Amino acid sequence: MTLLQWKPAYTLGVPSVDYEHRELIAMINSVYGHMAESSEPAVIEAGLEDIYAGIAAHFALEERHMREAGYEEYAGHKAQHEELLDQIRDMMDVFAKDPDAGRRQLRERLADWFGRHFATFDARLHERLGDHG
Amino acid sequence: MAAGPGISPVVIEGLQKAGRLVLEPLRRLLDRGFGAALNPLNHLGALTIYFFWIVVVSGIWLFIFFETSVAGAYESVEYLTHQQWYLGGVMRSLHRYASDAAVITLALHMIREFVYDRHRGMRWFSWFTGVPLLWLVFPLGITGYWLVWDQLGWYVALTSAELLDWLPIFSESMARNFLSDEALSDRFFTLMAFLHLIGLPLFLVFGIWLHVLRINGPRINPPRTLMASSLAALTILSFVHPAVSQGEVNMATVPPSLGLDWYYLLVYPLLKAWSPGWVWALLVGLSLLLCALPWIPPLRGKSPAVVDLDNCNGCGRCSDDCPFGAITMMPRSDGLAYDAEAVVDPALCMSCGLCTGACPTATPFRRHSELVPGIDLPDLPAARLREAIIAKSQELEGRARIMVFGCQEDSTWTRMKARLEGSATGAVDLICAGQLPPPFIDFVLSRDLADGVVISGCPGGNCQYRLGAEWTSLRVARERDPQLRKRVDTSRLALAWEERWARHKDLPAVVEGLRFELSGEAGPEPQAATAHPGGPARWALTALLYVVFLVPVAVFAVWPRFSLIGEDQAMVSLSFSHAGQRVGECRQLTQEELNELPPNMRKPSDCPRERRPVRVLFSVDGVPLYEDRLAPTGLWNDGSANVYRRLTVPAGPHELFIGMNERGEPEGFDYALRQAVDLAPGQHVVVEFDETHQTFVMRLH
Repeated sequence: MTLLQWKPAYTLGVPSVDYEHRELIAMINSVYGHMAESSEPAVIEAGLEDIYAGIAAHFALEERHMREAGYEEYAGHKAQHEELLDQIRDMMDVFAKDPDAGRRQLRERLADWFGRHFATFDARLHERLGDHG
Repeated sequence: MAAGPGISPVVIEGLQKAGRLVLEPLRRLLDRGFGAALNPLNHLGALTIYFFWIVVVSGIWLFIFFETSVAGAYESVEYLTHQQWYLGGVMRSLHRYASDAAVITLALHMIREFVYDRHRGMRWFSWFTGVPLLWLVFPLGITGYWLVWDQLGWYVALTSAELLDWLPIFSESMARNFLSDEALSDRFFTLMAFLHLIGLPLFLVFGIWLHVLRINGPRINPPRTLMASSLAALTILSFVHPAVSQGEVNMATVPPSLGLDWYYLLVYPLLKAWSPGWVWALLVGLSLLLCALPWIPPLRGKSPAVVDLDNCNGCGRCSDDCPFGAITMMPRSDGLAYDAEAVVDPALCMSCGLCTGACPTATPFRRHSELVPGIDLPDLPAARLREAIIAKSQELEGRARIMVFGCQEDSTWTRMKARLEGSATGAVDLICAGQLPPPFIDFVLSRDLADGVVISGCPGGNCQYRLGAEWTSLRVARERDPQLRKRVDTSRLALAWEERWARHKDLPAVVEGLRFELSGEAGPEPQAATAHPGGPARWALTALLYVVFLVPVAVFAVWPRFSLIGEDQAMVSLSFSHAGQRVGECRQLTQEELNELPPNMRKPSDCPRERRPVRVLFSVDGVPLYEDRLAPTGLWNDGSANVYRRLTVPAGPHELFIGMNERGEPEGFDYALRQAVDLAPGQHVVVEFDETHQTFVMRLH
């Protein structure tokens, strides 16, 4: 099952950020794919870990673009990034301790976790950066 | 010859070891008095620049009242010192003491960088560009003493001129100007004032800029508290022990003794025994040695950081955090959609790993893909660090297991590591505290690899790689990226250099302190260091340390005193120049010969330009004191021969004789003067040759 779908509306106008968004969506969907196939917990966990590394780097890059553009909502957006990273780490730990509980949590929260950030924060950023893109 | 490269590591490492034996206790002492953050040893370069600013500001005040002339210089400084003692006098004292303090901090700055091996690798640039600064700072001080034009100023002028005369720049002797009042002109003061007030300071500011150019975020200002307290200390010293002049210049007598500022005039007394050539050889030799020091073995063979493009999206955090400006963000080279990629300049990289610590992909939670961060250190890659952590954790047991990370450069770490290791404590090496990416802390604690983490770093701004401890503190405090995740319980984490933990006696005490807090059980009270006093005791210690610093500043600015000549001696200066006879006779050209020459070259006589040497003999009571054959000066050997020599003669009645043979012959004199004198102690006799009357003159004054 594919939970997240790339939409043209997600385009920020910053090619690198957009490229990573697509990559991350692919990564998240791949984890969902593994869950659907009931893969080994280790495979799913490794996928999560890759998402964590990828998303940490992605946020770092997005923050750099925001700073360079003098984005006025930087602080709030940045705080949201930090919170999201905390949450994915929490998910990773839940999964590491109890894969079944981890699966349940992932099903409920993973898409939500990234999708909502897209819909709200990145959309606002889009308004700001898009014109300059 | 093969011994050269073999012996230098032994010598250099020996010196560095000895230096650490002195600097480490000094650092600990200053830590107690100032606290680690304000420890002056960690701000030596910035302090030196700050003292220079004090010198500049006080110097502007002095310049307003200074009169740039032979007659006015001394008087104007005297007026400033005594009539305006509360301001001008204080400014003068500040001017002197801040410049002396600057020499101390400058010397310590150099020693410290050398002792901690911070003059090598890419740091060669700062070290190398620091050497010319010395050649600006010392002449700046020397010209300053010259301008005051008291007896010390006269001595400085005379000796400096003698030093410069040795160089084949001027054909005439410059020192001659400082032997008699008649010879001295205001032009010299204009020149000195230009050098001291504009020329040298301007070059110095430019030099300082160059000196810190390659440093990322150089600290050119010390902390405010340190600025305020050192200025206060220098001001107090200026009131307690004001700088004064050393008597009006009187060239007829030699001052019995002078209070030398040894910080600036250290080599001048050498000229009493050495020829200027040897002094130059010493100064130039030492400078060249300093310049070469970064390339004298032992050389460090560290590998520079390596970028892995597959893991680099160009976020720029490594470039922001590199203390040496070795990483630049360059246009993407692999065709991916990113704008930038990190590029390491191997010539600038010090291999500290702070970049890995900053890289968002340096997370140990990567088992699917290989743990390759976007930027990594081949000497200790993140993957090997994770292996070391996992291996170490398997050795640990007990309820409060602690994993200690320490940087290899910290002498405390190397000393304490063996003491730390035990069943409940594991030690893991880092290259620098800042190399540890924050997710590694999260990893250790959340994956139950240990119950607590201690990171030891070079304390209080003394970081070998400048910013390792600072960045780590900020990352852990979630004030700098990459931030430590909020979910990580920081009560399980101790950064040994931070105020709270630095109170402990040593690193094992920090570990035990954390263990005590973790276990929550009644354990032994952590050994608080009694050595860190608080409140008034600390202030008293700070004040005492300032006194200990300022006493040598004040003392060696005038003591030990120096005598140009012995107590019962007089000085005779031979100072003249005379053109020897020409080698051949002049020949009158015939009219035919003249006609053949171009019209503008028809001079009636053809004279060989080359001149003979001049032989000079000076004797006292028939005993030769000086005898020499002096070659003519000039490229074509057509200039005058220069005689300049200062001699000491015992006081009392003597018969002085000076003779000169202008054909350079060993026998006979073309000009001679014999004079009976009764020399008083300290009397200064100048022997000159009056070209107008073609006769010798002995100025007895």
